[in-house]
Amino acid sequence: MISAQAAITRLRRDLTVGSLVKWLLLAGVAFSMVIETVLDQKVISGSMALAAVAVVWVLLSYRSMKSTRMAAESSSLIAAGDYEQAEEHIDQALRGFSLFRAVKLRSLHHLAVLRHAQRRWGEAVMLCRELLGQRLGMLAGLIRSAQLILADSLLELGDVRGAYTAISGLYQQRLSLAEALELIAVQVDYLWRVGAWQEMMAGASHKVQMAELMPPPKAARTEALLALAARKTGHADWERWLMRRVELLADGKDLVRIRPVLAELWPG
Amino acid sequence: MTEQGDNPFLDVPALLERSVPRAQTRWVLYAGGGFVLMLALSAYTGAQAAGGSGAAEAVSAIGMIGLVVAMGVMIWRTARAVQREQQEMQAAEELIQLRRWDQAAMMLQSMLSRPARSLQARVQSLIYLAAVLARYHRHSDVVAVYDHLLGMEIQNEPAVRALRLGRAMSLLQEERLFDVDRAISDLRRGGGAAESGGLALVEIYRDVKTGHPQEAIDLFQEKLPILRRQLGCRVGDAYALAARAYDLMGREQEAACAYETATVLSEEAELHRRYPEVAALAGKYAPVVRPTEAP
Repeated sequence: MISAQAAITRLRRDLTVGSLVKWLLLAGVAFSMVIETVLDQKVISGSMALAAVAVVWVLLSYRSMKSTRMAAESSSLIAAGDYEQAEEHIDQALRGFSLFRAVKLRSLHHLAVLRHAQRRWGEAVMLCRELLGQRLGMLAGLIRSAQLILADSLLELGDVRGAYTAISGLYQQRLSLAEALELIAVQVDYLWRVGAWQEMMAGASHKVQMAELMPPPKAARTEALLALAARKTGHADWERWLMRRVELLADGKDLVRIRPVLAELWPG
Repeated sequence: MTEQGDNPFLDVPALLERSVPRAQTRWVLYAGGGFVLMLALSAYTGAQAAGGSGAAEAVSAIGMIGLVVAMGVMIWRTARAVQREQQEMQAAEELIQLRRWDQAAMMLQSMLSRPARSLQARVQSLIYLAAVLARYHRHSDVVAVYDHLLGMEIQNEPAVRALRLGRAMSLLQEERLFDVDRAISDLRRGGGAAESGGLALVEIYRDVKTGHPQEAIDLFQEKLPILRRQLGCRVGDAYALAARAYDLMGREQEAACAYETATVLSEEAELHRRYPEVAALAGKYAPVVRPTEAP
């Protein structure tokens, strides 16, 4: 199993090496032009030098593509619950050389997603913080996803303030549906911890509609917390309706195990 | 959705034909050929350098720089096009999830009316198309899309299984019962059939549709834990079908209870739209009304 610290060290090293190789190749292209136009071509032809650089570039790009494919497959493996196989793919992608920053950063993101799915919150936090500390440029989707994973992991670790900081920037951004669903789940989980029951009930219909699109365990948890908010704010009709829905989706006992605060709704 | 003269909306055969990815290798061949040509030209001018033809060398150098720039631009344009296609696919998926069917249909019509950039993108778009067509009850078209997809020999086993399930459900909606039985038998032969909530739902619906309510109820009771675990809120569909089965058997109290449970999870109108048989229960049994928005 790859440790988060080892993955971060490897990423930093590989990013430096990748940049260096890229600059060397660019220098090679410039040098070829100089040979071709300025210098005498008796020793080496500029075209030949350029061809050599192009061949090296293509070969390294091909290797990078293999790493990309490897890392991309890990997403569906994580979704299918095959963590072992996903770990193997991510490990290979992280170990392999890549010319492009995006490939390495995506691989680290996949590792963060995996650790989050494995409920290894501390490692997920480390990986997300590293990712957010990098220059992500065009990979804006990765920033949002890392912020959501970070917020959720911090909540699981009991760091409410850290979670707030992580998600506060997301409200101004345009989110995909999957990100919006994740944000609602994190937001509801955050609000009960700070006792903001009224805020939880604001737009309850919309939140329930969105919860319907979440995977069943997350939908049940979100709706259960909303049911608790309904009780706290005196909305008995909402409380009854939401509790019935939750009981059709999950066992109250299991929900209490992951969120003991729900024992108020499902005692004993 | 209406048909528009010679250009019908979501014309499945036409979309299947037009969305086939165009061979992408041509420009790579041209660029590679151009590169080799430049090399040859440059080598030739290099050999003639003793003759001191500076103009030829300059032309060769400019040509090479031009080629490198052109290849860079082409790669950038290709990457942009792939990114745009992925964004469109994500938008189509979101529209389907949010049940904005008309918008999803328009987007898919536009996406599938031109060659896809990759096979994977085409497969995904066609899966979304099948979902939209099912919404419009164009089940024979849905079956055609699924048949086309299954003919593509997709290597992902869970995806193939999902396609087969979707096809079986559409065949059932079309009342092609012989084909349904064959489709269900095929699905049963595959691994994990006993643990498939989707297959259980298809079988319950088949039993309701063919007038075997007792079998439907037995299956519903046996598979309820799996249905609950795998289908999430869509377990409401199974309750709705169970309500219909109980009603067919004259067990009205149980039918009322199952109908009420179904409408806790799904809106009544949505259930009626999905299963016309369940619409017969409207007015007979009381649905659960969602609470109004909290102030």
